[in-house]
Amino acid sequence: MRSPAVAFAINVRVKYHNTFLFRASGTQSAEANRNGCWPGAEGYEGVVMQVWKGLAGALALAALLGHASAQEKPKELGIGVFTFMSGGPAAYGMPARNAAGLIFDGINAAGGIGGVPVKPVYVDEGQGTDAVVSEFRRLATSGEVSAMIAALSSGNCLALAPIAEQLKMPTVAWNCDTHQLFLKDKYDYVYRANSSTIPEFVATALYVLDKKPDLKTVAIINPDYAFGHDAAQIFTAALKAFKPDVEFVAELFPKLGASNYNTEISRIMAARPDVVFTNFWGADLENFVRQAAPRGLFRNSQGVLSVGEAVLQSVGSQLPDGVIIGVLGDGWWQSPVAEKNAAAQKFVADYQAKFQAYPVFPSFKMANTILALKAAYEKAIAAKGGAWPTAEELSAALDGLTVETLTGGLTIRSEDNDGLVDQIVGVTAKSDKYPFPVIGEMVRYPAELVTPPAGTDPIAWIGSLDKDFLAKLPKPGSAQ
Amino acid sequence: MLQALMPLLVDGLANAALIFFVAVGLSLVFSVLRILNVAHGSFYAIGAYASVSLSLWIVSAGLSPWLTLPALAVSAAIVAAILGPAVERGFLRWTYGRPESLQILVTFALFLIFEDLQKLVFGVQSLYQDAPVQLFGTSEIGGILYLNYQLVLIALAVLVVVALRLLMSYTRFGKLMVAVVADPEVSQALGIDTRRVYMAAFTLGVFLAAFGGALASPTVGVAPGTGPEAIVLAFAVAAIGGLGQIEGAALAALVVGVVRVLAIYFAPEFEAVVPYLVMLAVLLVRPYGLFGSVRVRRI
Repeated sequence: MRSPAVAFAINVRVKYHNTFLFRASGTQSAEANRNGCWPGAEGYEGVVMQVWKGLAGALALAALLGHASAQEKPKELGIGVFTFMSGGPAAYGMPARNAAGLIFDGINAAGGIGGVPVKPVYVDEGQGTDAVVSEFRRLATSGEVSAMIAALSSGNCLALAPIAEQLKMPTVAWNCDTHQLFLKDKYDYVYRANSSTIPEFVATALYVLDKKPDLKTVAIINPDYAFGHDAAQIFTAALKAFKPDVEFVAELFPKLGASNYNTEISRIMAARPDVVFTNFWGADLENFVRQAAPRGLFRNSQGVLSVGEAVLQSVGSQLPDGVIIGVLGDGWWQSPVAEKNAAAQKFVADYQAKFQAYPVFPSFKMANTILALKAAYEKAIAAKGGAWPTAEELSAALDGLTVETLTGGLTIRSEDNDGLVDQIVGVTAKSDKYPFPVIGEMVRYPAELVTPPAGTDPIAWIGSLDKDFLAKLPKPGSAQ
Repeated sequence: MLQALMPLLVDGLANAALIFFVAVGLSLVFSVLRILNVAHGSFYAIGAYASVSLSLWIVSAGLSPWLTLPALAVSAAIVAAILGPAVERGFLRWTYGRPESLQILVTFALFLIFEDLQKLVFGVQSLYQDAPVQLFGTSEIGGILYLNYQLVLIALAVLVVVALRLLMSYTRFGKLMVAVVADPEVSQALGIDTRRVYMAAFTLGVFLAAFGGALASPTVGVAPGTGPEAIVLAFAVAAIGGLGQIEGAALAALVVGVVRVLAIYFAPEFEAVVPYLVMLAVLLVRPYGLFGSVRVRRI
């Protein structure tokens, strides 16, 4: 909803496009003169022009003031939500979509955000980056949404961030983990409500070092795009920081969605590594587990599935005990923190009742991001004495936001807009209660320990980690 | 030495078997109908969807998991029996004798329609049923455990090559097809119902595509994108073998399969491009593929 002052100013600007805009600066006035818009500033015409200039200036000022101070409370709050709802990645994206629906329903049932009901607009990232970018632009410029939760794919986040900035659309990244997002570019409208690849894969490496202190050989099999290569680089750097003589006997990067990994599995088994690391996710990870587990890959080598929690319910029963499982954050529904949180347990029960499955960590990443955005709105509304915030004010509220989530805490640090979230890692453990394995020997690495300080070169930071750093870390099993 | 080479050989053959099933139907249809069927990948994907759906139903109904094995062929046969005649009679026959560009456009349109229909019918998430894989267990070869299902696929691929050759050379239907391929006009003049031969050959092609998808589904599942991925590889393999050549498709699948495996073992960064590098190399030396020829139309 636009205020009447803004709407009027826009009408005037459209109607008098050639005149109003050309009066704005000297060079454009000269151009207008050449085009014959303003023949001169003499006599009667000069007086008319002075009046017109004054009117135009007043209108512009009214428009600016109207925009900045009298943001009208909308009848409903549109929020764009980007995730994969089709194709192989939907195995990861749909649990997040399902969680979003539940959380928004809960928010609306409790009166919405600041008394305004929320209307989510879901966008399928399965249609490709070009279409995702067009849809983002369309939503942002149509007035249909006031904030975005985007996106799942790191590639999509990297493409959307500059556009969000250009369109001044407050955007909160809910999953895209690439540490490249805030490495060089500074944003005023783009924030991340979760951790980056650096703490996520450093945490995995630290856990591996604790569980397999004598490891000598490692094989890596990751998808062939930025997320896979970044993870390989970070995991390698972290292992090398503490065990410089570790040997990488296979580094394989099948294309994303390759689906058949049987040859790669043979290749890895032939190399007989101590540790097999992968950050496959979605249907790729399910296919990898289905093909590798029956062939004994996880019995011969220490398996490390850094995105593993998301597939425990679908293919976990094929995994032996002791496979290292990552959560990419703290979104494990049976962590001690989540189990003590009544809202989290209600969310788990509602999710299970509605979808006949338990929420996985992508569900929590989405749920926690929505709660962070809600908290930012409430912070901005409170700061404005109850008035509805502008896009700038909402973004300012996201800056430095600290919020209690369903599974722990989140801080969006001011320096680089990145999220600080604890990292949970553990191993597969048989459960008496569920037909799939749960996470045993759990550790919760504090965010501030495993996240490099803002502004540092993350790979150099990993290289600088030493034994003193290790001594500060909690041990596997300490978070049970 | 043999111990070290065995995994390469088994992986190469297992890869080749999967690739062969992707490409052989495309080659067969081209040899008889002279149509480059872009919708071939869709039949592959629909076969996979049908097979997974049938297997899921068998398992959920509490029937014997062994029934999922015939379900692979039965689902492909159902897909072929419905879509083969419908597509050939409904669309392709109007394009016979027309410019190749028109034929490609029609099959491309069908491909796009089938892609959307799959999403409407089967949903957008990946489907999976691995009962056939679990039934066969594993074997150790060269110190590495393999799924016996992979070995079954190798045997099935050999069986299909032999069966197609026997069909072409020793059955009435096969000889009619060979006659129509050699000279459709004379065949028609001699009283052969070429329309039926075209329809039957296309239906067989659809069956082979759907069967390929069905056989792949227990190890890889099926999701939107399966069809497009299949058609690109099928074109490469069919082009290497020589379009229209069954043995050519088998040899090309073997070459691509083995080269891919060698790449994964020794130069993994080239794995994705090797099928196309092989295609480039073969077509530069033999523009009509390994078994293809300019003049003679063979099957």
